[in-house]
Formats: sequence, C-alpha cells, structure tokens
Amino acid sequence: MDIQSYISSGKLELFLLGELTEREREEVLDFAKRYPEIQQELDDLEETMLAFDNMTGIAPSQEVKDKIFSKLESDFIFKQAPKPTTARADTKVVAMSSAWKPFAIAASIAAIVASGVAFYYADKYDEKNIQFIALLQDQSVMAGNLNQVKQEYDQKDAQLDKFVAGDYKRVEMKGEGFNMQKDARVDVLWDQNAQVVFIAINNLNDLSDEFDYQLWAIGDDGPVGIGLVNNKVEKLTLQQMQAVAQAGAFAITIEPKGGSKAPNLEKLVVLGEVV
Amino acid sequence: MEEVQIIAGLRAKDRKTTEYLYDKYSKALYAVISRIIFDKDIAEEVFHDSFVKITKKIAHYEESKGRLYTWMANICRNSAIDKLRSKEISQSGKTNTIDDFVYGMESQSGTQEHIDGIGVKELMIELNEDQKFIVEYIYFKGYTHSEVSEEFQIPLGTVKSRVRAAIQVLKKNVARI
Repeated sequence: MDIQSYISSGKLELFLLGELTEREREEVLDFAKRYPEIQQELDDLEETMLAFDNMTGIAPSQEVKDKIFSKLESDFIFKQAPKPTTARADTKVVAMSSAWKPFAIAASIAAIVASGVAFYYADKYDEKNIQFIALLQDQSVMAGNLNQVKQEYDQKDAQLDKFVAGDYKRVEMKGEGFNMQKDARVDVLWDQNAQVVFIAINNLNDLSDEFDYQLWAIGDDGPVGIGLVNNKVEKLTLQQMQAVAQAGAFAITIEPKGGSKAPNLEKLVVLGEVV
Repeated sequence: MEEVQIIAGLRAKDRKTTEYLYDKYSKALYAVISRIIFDKDIAEEVFHDSFVKITKKIAHYEESKGRLYTWMANICRNSAIDKLRSKEISQSGKTNTIDDFVYGMESQSGTQEHIDGIGVKELMIELNEDQKFIVEYIYFKGYTHSEVSEEFQIPLGTVKSRVRAAIQVLKKNVARI
C-alpha cells in the first residue's frame, strides 16, 4: 500500500471532521493501527485542528459556564477533592454459612464421650448391651447435628431479623461504562439510620497480590475509604464494612495493597448511585 | 492531566475533572460552534447543550475509535450544523463568512478577543482562493465535503484534496504563530 498517497488523499482530514461513513472510519482506524505514519499524521492533524480552534476562538461567557455546572451539579458523584481518610480498619467477614466447624467438633467430642461410656458399660454388663450403646452413640451424634443446625438457624434468623428490622437500601454497583471490568457487579446494603454497610460480591475478578479492592462512600465531603473488600469469599457472602452516615454513591477501586487515602479514578471498577 | 485520566474522571462523574476539561477545551469547542453560528446567544446555547451531552455520553465514548478532542469537536460541530438547519436560524437568513467572523471578534470588547481576531486573519492569509473557499464553507458555514461537491459541482476528489491542502497551510501557520 502507498502510505503517502493514502495520507495525502484527504481521508484523514475528513475522518477528523466526522464526515466518513462507518465503513470508511473503520478503514482509517485499521490503517492507523497498522501504519505508524498514518497514526502520526492523524495525531498531528488533530493537534492542528485543536490549535486552530483555540486560536480562532474566544472563551464562552462565564454565565454559560455557571449554567453548565449548575445543570451538572446533581450529576456529579465526586463533588470535591477527596479528603484523606485516617482510619482504616480491616474488613470483618461476617460468617453466614461457615458456623458448622465448632459444632462438628462438639459433635466429635460427644461421640468420644459416648464411646467411653460404651466401653465402661461393656465391661460391667453383657456384650449385648454394646448394641444399645452404639445406638446411644448414634443418638448423641445426631443430637449434636441437630444442635448445630439449630445454632445455624438461630444465627441466620438473628441476621434476618436485623435486616427486616433495619432499613436496608440496596445500591447496585456496576462495572458498565468503566474500563476495568464491564461485567463486575457488587451490591451494597446500607442502613442509613444505623450507619451499617454490608457488601455482597456478585462478580469481581481476582487481583494479583500487590493490589486490593477498596470500597469508597462518596458523600458531600468527597470519597471516604470504608474498608478493603475481600473478594476471596464465596459469592454473595455478606461483608460488614465501616460505618457510613452520608453518601450519594458507593464505588470500588483497585488500590495498592492495604488501600489508599484517596481513590484512583483510573482504576474505578464499579460505581453505584444511591437512589 | 493525561487523556486517560480525563476520561476516567469524567466517567466517575468527578467535578474536578469536568472543570479541568472545561478550562482546557471550552474555548476551542466554543470556536467550532461560534464559527458556524454567528448569533452569540444561540451559539452559547448550543455550546451549553453540547458540553452537557459530552459529559453524559462519555460512558459510550470508545477510545479506540478516535481521540477525545476529535470526538468532542464532532459533537459540537454536528449540534451546530443541526441548529443552523433548524427553522429557528434559517429564517434569520444569516450566513457566515470568515470576514464576518473576524469582524465580529474584533468588534467585541477586550484586548484578548482583539488579538484572537488578528490570529484568524494571519492564519488565513496564505490560503489561496480555492482553499479559502473550502475553509469558509466547511469551517464557517457548516457544509460537509459532499455538500460542497454537489452544490458547486466540484468533483469529490478535488474537494478532498483541497481540504487536505487548506489544513496543511493552517498547520504550517499554526506552528508559525
């Protein structure tokens, strides 16, 4: 292909003026990718057009600027410069479904005790009694199991009560529109009165070891870090984050391990506005 | 601020980034519009709507399809052309020429505008008649190249190469001034 004649065809200028058809645009982009000279010429021409526009223009009036920003005011999520946050407590994982371990141990201990009892009786009484003792043993294991299920139930019931009693607002944070992970999805559950925040991860990619996901509550005073997100937990496990009283939106960014004082907006993964 | 940072900040709806964008590009973007629309109030209205549109459409902007300024300038240019062709303006019968534009800027108060007006003249001075014609119709009257070709019966290829030649002259002058 004759790159020079392509460059001098005038196509690149029309590309920048937005006057090419979709198919022609694709062609220019494709060539620009393949031939650095074409990309360079596009960049130069864009600089020229920007410089030309700058040199031939006068600034729009202050009133227009004020009007634009008052119109956009309600859309802004990050309204002010981020305030450095001092407190940074580690995120507590609230176990919703992993409470079985202590009860399994209790059940095992019950089984051992039962075995001891069985041997004692076996010495004193007839061997036939062993059968009965074995049943007894089974029964204590089952009692242990039942106890475990009951405990689990009570715990979930208590958490459910808390949710029913609390006024939890669900804020869906999505990755659409950002570059990091388009299909990312994390929900925030926020009781504004009690200032309690939970998050539940629906879809969030793994991170390499030198990074952490950090949750931000974005209020009138700018973004405040409210804890690191543990993405190694089972899907939809609730994690309690730091208390938040006021926020217009929540967001998660990728930060260096341990979190940052202010969010790196270039690595914003998900964002959800409080409706 | 790098372009990627600006885009990321706009997508996060960050006020500071939006202000930075405004400060950096409002003059150039407003120029794109006010060249085509001579009436200051209407031009500012179109600029207002275009800028708001830019902040709202940034989520759909694809970096791989062209750079930020070009994308924004196209939004402004298209809005200005749409407005120009709406009934609201065509009834007033006003058409722009480079001379009107320069005169309009020079007659405004303030020295800054005055200097800018001289800039336009200096930028245009080396264009030959054909090139000046192209710049006038494409930049100041909001014509597309195919419209210029149709209306003035100039072959499309010729229009393209004149656009190219005119911008090359501007490029040289921009670098010189």
